[in-house]
Amino acid sequence: MITIFIVIAIIYIGVLVTFSLMTRKKNKDSTSYFLAGSKVGSVLGIFTLAATLFSTFTIIGMPDFFRTHGIGSWLFLAFSDAVMVFGIITVGYYLRKTARREDFRGLSGLMAKCYKNKYAGYITFVGAFIFLVPYVAIQIRGIAIFLNATFTHALPIWGWAILIVLIMLVYSEVGGLKAIIYSDMLQGIILLVVICIIAYNCVSYFGNLENLFSKVEEVNTQLLSVPGPKGLFTTQFLITSMIAITMIPFTQPQVVTRIIIMKNYRSLFRMAIGLGVFALIIIFATLCIGMYGAVKYPELNTAEFISAVLISDQSNFVAAFAILGLIAAAISTSDSQIFALGGELRSLLSGNDKKMIGITKVAIVFFGLVVLAFSLMASDELVLLARTSFTGTALMAPMIFLAIFSTRRLKMLIPILTMMAMLIFISSLLGLIPNMVFGLNLDLLLILLLTLASLAAYRLSPIGD
Amino acid sequence: MKYVKEKLWLLCCISAAAIIVFGLSPLALPKNTFDPKLFGMPYVLWVNILLSIGLVLLTVLGTFVHPGSINSSEE
Repeated sequence: MITIFIVIAIIYIGVLVTFSLMTRKKNKDSTSYFLAGSKVGSVLGIFTLAATLFSTFTIIGMPDFFRTHGIGSWLFLAFSDAVMVFGIITVGYYLRKTARREDFRGLSGLMAKCYKNKYAGYITFVGAFIFLVPYVAIQIRGIAIFLNATFTHALPIWGWAILIVLIMLVYSEVGGLKAIIYSDMLQGIILLVVICIIAYNCVSYFGNLENLFSKVEEVNTQLLSVPGPKGLFTTQFLITSMIAITMIPFTQPQVVTRIIIMKNYRSLFRMAIGLGVFALIIIFATLCIGMYGAVKYPELNTAEFISAVLISDQSNFVAAFAILGLIAAAISTSDSQIFALGGELRSLLSGNDKKMIGITKVAIVFFGLVVLAFSLMASDELVLLARTSFTGTALMAPMIFLAIFSTRRLKMLIPILTMMAMLIFISSLLGLIPNMVFGLNLDLLLILLLTLASLAAYRLSPIGD
Repeated sequence: MKYVKEKLWLLCCISAAAIIVFGLSPLALPKNTFDPKLFGMPYVLWVNILLSIGLVLLTVLGTFVHPGSINSSEE
């Protein structure tokens, strides 16, 4: 298996290098480097968005989440993703209109322009930085732990983490967003094919789906209903998760950018449909893998379970591609997010274009190093940490929606309230304040209050620019 | 034609909202309920799979009647 893995890994890195060198020549200014020329077609769009969204958290986290918490995980992610794709065609249209009007360079820059105040941009940038860095870090950590468990004597966890961050930084810095998008396409295809083959093998082990679920029923009936064995899937948890996930395309810069850079509305719509199909297939596959794990490996920890199901139980060929698929998933999500942070910073800077690209490239390396440091400290709870990141950025949704939809003169009240909400949310994560208020989850309460405040601010704001 | 499309788009939005509300209601999420089953899948799972597919199909329909499809020539 190791020989096959080394061969395909070399081919994979070779393809990444080729993409970077191909696109490097075309990167003449900020628009081509950070926004890939803003003419991305629907097929590239589907895979780049899918690879950006479906990360290590999906391949490692979701099978484990299904195994531990049961079928409610479908509602947590797949149903929420289906709502999200409907949201992309609904709100994406207005987002693109606003972006075109304001000469989009990045979400932070867009907020600064819409609110006519640079501090609105700074708040957006800081919010994205604070909540994306831990998310990227857990991707790196997840894959580093997995590789360490699989190749026991090769490298320590920090060694794998450094290697992944290095690969990611080199090809992102050289090739820009276009290189990332091409590599996302490759990574998305590998991810989809590998996970479907493994899921098929998991179901085949029991003969068919019916046998698989009847075995799960024998092992732990609670996995087959809500709220699940640990009582996680309460209605409040599911509603908050759905809001957080649905808001990703409008609050996380790496996804916002991908919506804006689509060639036209038709490409955007096709991308949304493709993403929905991709999401349902891939999450159904992780459901099968998770249910298989619930029967066969109920007692193993996450790394041992993933290593068993993706490596030990598969043929050498599939196992080698599974490892590559995992690395590809971690890289495709992380590079997009780190690069997007660079793009956000660029959108707040003004001055000579070449000089600003240079400054941003240095900043991307800095973001990569911060992520690396966090990845060595993060917890192993991939899915729940990812959800925290989604919820954190979702707090910016009312501020962003107000900017997208309002034709009135906007004041700084909502960005300031958003900043306060993020501070309160972080305080609750640190345990400084309770995370339940009047029987409501604090994150849900904060989103509701910000939404009400945004509606009130819209009604009270003066008409005209 | 534009008027009909706008009404159909509104209908798509209302249908999506109805699916979301139903998907989060006790009807689709009854606690500790497993039957009736479909291909061995417990009730909560297959109902939510159908609802998710329904939302994606609504997205497909929505792309034909969305204001963006009407104004696509503006881009």
